[in-house]
Amino acid sequence: MIALPLPLIQVLQVLTVAVAAPGVSGFISWFEARLQGRRGPRIVQPYFDLAKLFGKETLVPEGAGVFFRIAPAASLACYLTVPMLIPVLTSYALPLGYMGDILGGGLILALGSFLVATAAAETGDAYAQLASSRAKTFAAITEPVMLLVVFTVALITTTDLPYVLGATVRSGPQQIVRPAHLLASAALFMVILFETARIPVETHAGTTEFGMIETGRTFEHSGPHLALLHWGSAAKQMVLFVILLNVFIAPWGMASTTSLTAVVLAIGAIVAKSVLLGVVIAVLDNSYAKLRLFKITEFVSAALLLAVLAVFTLYLGGG
Amino acid sequence: MSVLAAAPGAPSVFDGFANAVALVVLLLEFGMLRASLLRAQVRLYAGQSLAVSVLAVVVAVGHHVPELYVLAALSLALKVVVVPLLVLRLLRDADAEIAGSGALGVASEVLISIVVAAFGFFAVGVLDIHSNVLPTAALSLSIAVVLVAFILMVVRRDVVSQAIGFFSLENGASLASLVVASGMPLILEVAFLFDLLVAVVVFGVLMRTHQRRSQSLSTEHLDRLRG
Repeated sequence: MIALPLPLIQVLQVLTVAVAAPGVSGFISWFEARLQGRRGPRIVQPYFDLAKLFGKETLVPEGAGVFFRIAPAASLACYLTVPMLIPVLTSYALPLGYMGDILGGGLILALGSFLVATAAAETGDAYAQLASSRAKTFAAITEPVMLLVVFTVALITTTDLPYVLGATVRSGPQQIVRPAHLLASAALFMVILFETARIPVETHAGTTEFGMIETGRTFEHSGPHLALLHWGSAAKQMVLFVILLNVFIAPWGMASTTSLTAVVLAIGAIVAKSVLLGVVIAVLDNSYAKLRLFKITEFVSAALLLAVLAVFTLYLGGG
Repeated sequence: MSVLAAAPGAPSVFDGFANAVALVVLLLEFGMLRASLLRAQVRLYAGQSLAVSVLAVVVAVGHHVPELYVLAALSLALKVVVVPLLVLRLLRDADAEIAGSGALGVASEVLISIVVAAFGFFAVGVLDIHSNVLPTAALSLSIAVVLVAFILMVVRRDVVSQAIGFFSLENGASLASLVVASGMPLILEVAFLFDLLVAVVVFGVLMRTHQRRSQSLSTEHLDRLRG
């Protein structure tokens, strides 16, 4: 049995997210196409797209400033920092795992999307600005939901470290059926649907500019910049999936030792779990229609309701 | 690592499950508040009654109270099948589809309901009631259901929503009775159920009369005094 050094596992966590993320996106769009009776793109298509975009030249609109140039790389860096803080492969905390809690991870994710929105605002393009202003409007409601989910976790575990919540969920069925946990997981899932630009908020690969929120912000980017942004949004989706799976709903199948086989199995397990979640999301995508813009407020406020009730049942009812 | 040990204090699996079912009842109440189609509201009411019946079965299994099976069967037959069918039939005659008559917007309604539900949680928390059958959280949830049902009746301005609000208030009350007095004599529980039937008849007559006299289900012009 070969034991891996802890820093190497830490690096593997980041690499797993960075490498597997476009594949998971590709799988979801392939599966969605199969559900609709189309043949669909290859699962590895996102990798080809990234390679193609990296081979092109970058064009910058006139008057765009420094934010426009640094945002793609900086946002990808933000999204790839979070896997150091959350349990991707191991059920025990890695050396940098205590560097930040869930709140810190959420802050870094928010910083990434803030950079993209600022870059969009710098271009002067109407659609990019429309999309980034919309994204920030609804984020004003989804951010409190994330905070309340963190409060729920804090009340359940008396800390806000993601590793501890995962251990609590693994400790027995009574932690899984308690209403606060179910409500917080459901609220987080709704926020993830919003953050990863899925139905009922928007069509993920839509081409109608007026309906775009997350995907509309990158209109003015091209070449390697656009590749970094696409990679970043896939990485963000994978990070959110990992938080939901490995912390909230399915914290099983992670390595509990440092042995090579356990870590390799854990890599396979997290990819398989993400693919399963992708199946669920593709089915949801095909079962519902996109909401009208002003109804999205109701969708995110329903998530807020769930999160508020989670804190109530826990703080006032002991549930 | 000691910090990774699970925090104590989680309720048992049975309590957690009962709480989760009670929570479904409250969430469906919020759903009724948001629903804009009258039929959707009636369907949500049927779902809520089903959740209450399920909770009765859960308590019956968990605490060996065989009378509750009878209660669950009765409430399943009455509240999940008969009452919704009656209301739907009345709606078919009334030929109105959309409630959409709230005195406030949906967002404000939900916000007020959250505040009122929080009040219910606080009120029960202060009373410090302990039940040996169901956890306290279920009692708080049932009080919240009753209060949100009141809000539904206050802010909606059509007869059907108000009737559904009243019926779901009864659901909240029977949830509370399951929590604090699941050993209550069966005859009392059944009397409650038949009270509900009387209410259905009264609301049915009200709906028909109102529909005949004003050609709508809205109560908006009932507040004008006429000699």
